[in-house]
Amino acid sequence: MPSTMSRRGFLAAGGGLAAASALSGCSALAADDDDPGTLVVHSQLGTTAPGSPTYLSALDRFRKENPGLKVRNLVNGDDLPQVYETSRLARKEPDVVMVNLYDKTLAWTDVGATVDVKGYLDDWGLRERVLPVALDAWTDGKGRVRAFPYFATNWPVAFNRALLDKAGVDRVPATGDELIAAAGKLRRKGIAPVTVGGNDWTGQKLLAQIIQTFLTEDEARHVYATGDFGGRGARQGLEYFVELRDAGVFADKAQGLTSDSMTTQFNTQAAAMQSAMSSALAKVPAEVARHTDVGGWPLAPGAAHDKPTILRTYTLIGFWISPNGTKKIEAVEKFLRFMYRPDTVSRFIKEAGRDMALRSDTVSSHFPLVAAAQRLGGDVSQVLLPDLFVPPAATQPLITATSTSFTRGTSAAKVRSVLEAAYRGA
Amino acid sequence: MKSAKHSRLGRSWLPAHILVWLYAVLLVVPLYYFVASAFKTNEEIFASPFALPSSFGLGNFSTAFHSADLGLAVVNSALVTVFSLVLTLALAIPAAFALARSTGRLASLVESVFSLGFLIPTFAALFPTFLLAAATGLFHTRTFMILFLPATAMPLSVVILVQFMRTIPREMEEAARMDGASTFAVLRHVYTPMCLPGIATVLLLNFLTFWNEYLYSLVIIGPDPAQRTVQVALPTLKSITGTDYGVLTAGTVLTLVPVWIVYTVLQKRMQQALVSGAVKM
Repeated sequence: MPSTMSRRGFLAAGGGLAAASALSGCSALAADDDDPGTLVVHSQLGTTAPGSPTYLSALDRFRKENPGLKVRNLVNGDDLPQVYETSRLARKEPDVVMVNLYDKTLAWTDVGATVDVKGYLDDWGLRERVLPVALDAWTDGKGRVRAFPYFATNWPVAFNRALLDKAGVDRVPATGDELIAAAGKLRRKGIAPVTVGGNDWTGQKLLAQIIQTFLTEDEARHVYATGDFGGRGARQGLEYFVELRDAGVFADKAQGLTSDSMTTQFNTQAAAMQSAMSSALAKVPAEVARHTDVGGWPLAPGAAHDKPTILRTYTLIGFWISPNGTKKIEAVEKFLRFMYRPDTVSRFIKEAGRDMALRSDTVSSHFPLVAAAQRLGGDVSQVLLPDLFVPPAATQPLITATSTSFTRGTSAAKVRSVLEAAYRGA
Repeated sequence: MKSAKHSRLGRSWLPAHILVWLYAVLLVVPLYYFVASAFKTNEEIFASPFALPSSFGLGNFSTAFHSADLGLAVVNSALVTVFSLVLTLALAIPAAFALARSTGRLASLVESVFSLGFLIPTFAALFPTFLLAAATGLFHTRTFMILFLPATAMPLSVVILVQFMRTIPREMEEAARMDGASTFAVLRHVYTPMCLPGIATVLLLNFLTFWNEYLYSLVIIGPDPAQRTVQVALPTLKSITGTDYGVLTAGTVLTLVPVWIVYTVLQKRMQQALVSGAVKM
């Protein structure tokens, strides 16, 4: 009996069938944002960012404890703010967003992209769980709490004691002169003194830290909010930075280095010092961490601080609630209560070495440098992280200006000029 | 005598040989660096970038594959790319056929309109495209991309195919007509087979564009692992607070495998198309 279907017809029908099954098998082609039974969380955690395995494990536990509630986890990296904003414009935004308070996100509460969580924080009885200083950082000028604070970070200076010993440096440098002398000795042994990502945000933060050597907190806030680096303290800070740079304190070609090359230089012991966030300190190999001390950035005579400085911030990652999230507020409450639970918080500290903006007695015992940074307390003086004060439009230009600042031979006046230029379009 | 001539010829060709080998090295070195890095740790990549990996373990590949859900992302990319390619060809071949056979002013105007498509910058179209996706209810779907990508590919596809079809002698069509062929039959049995190198060129160029598309996929399809493409999944392996470049490179290698396969299959056709007319094929 002859076939009623030709070979081509058979192939076409098979192809069509395969396509239809592939499309239906890999989730429907229609959007799935509006399902009222699903809590949608948009996060920067979930792949290789520090704390991701703990976060994914916490999500699994939350799903098991709440079998009637589906949770969908969306993951983006640095592009999360842009993706969130477009989804908000289409009114299809996720219910909860986990991102830091920085750059674009500074404007979210003001423009209604996310809601004030102050009422929820009180109604759910979670205010007491938050460190007061963290709550202050997340509260805007109109008294609105932008998000539920979660991650914090310390930003001390890590000193490789073994390399300092090898170069004949007896003690961790505490002053600019000691740092310059140590840099000379380290260089003679072929060791880079301070490694820094002069081409990215790590350089920008260190530059800000050094400039603040001669600034009080209020002065620093003014400088970074206005971009006026012409005051006496700011100018002295810039001159101090230039003096250190031209004395060879920073690694060669620092203006071309990035945060990744910085941590690699320190972790491979090619460099003796770095100013690093605690999440980077958590990744220092055990054999290097064993002979590493943490402390503050060395001071200059006449400094506004009496102890070496570190950066510290409580605005690293918070839980923002979107307008869509308010429509599923019971689900959001369950999720927030779970993430604020002491056992969940402890796991982030113990397993991932994260610093938290919440109260906890847990110490990062598996991450000795993170724990040491947490204990620094009164041994160091804290300077401002400028992120909260820099106008969003000036954030990226400031990072770009960093590279010029770390280029040897650039005068303090020129550095001041490029920093101020970064604010002009803002 | 012959030997001396051969020797002179050899010497005269020496600069060309050197340049060719230098060019080959220029291509191979980055490829080696790229593949070798996929087996290394950050420390090895930064400390000795061109050294061989200390181990050829597949840990980085496994980490990249699982943590960024690359398997599903590759399937999503394949779906979007294949359906978009089919739609592009389904629209571009008849359009090019009609334009190639027409001699009127209207056809000339329509062809110019297709050419004007090249003038629209990618970024300029982003916001209106986003608004369209939101208005049609297709925001956060692959369906919108399957409809949108062919629209972006039409100018190049039509312009290339029209040029190929114009090289086909009218006598071929007249002979087919005398045999009773309809217009569709002429397109199917005369023009399409004779334009295969051109179709292969269009397929390859569009495949590379569709597969590598990032900005619109990021904004329109979004970050949902169930829908996102490889180009959106891959950057999630990058972290501002410390990227594992071994894992990132391994993930990139994995997502490039389909590109290499398709390129290997189609590149000969494309090269033939570039060096010879359609009729000679």
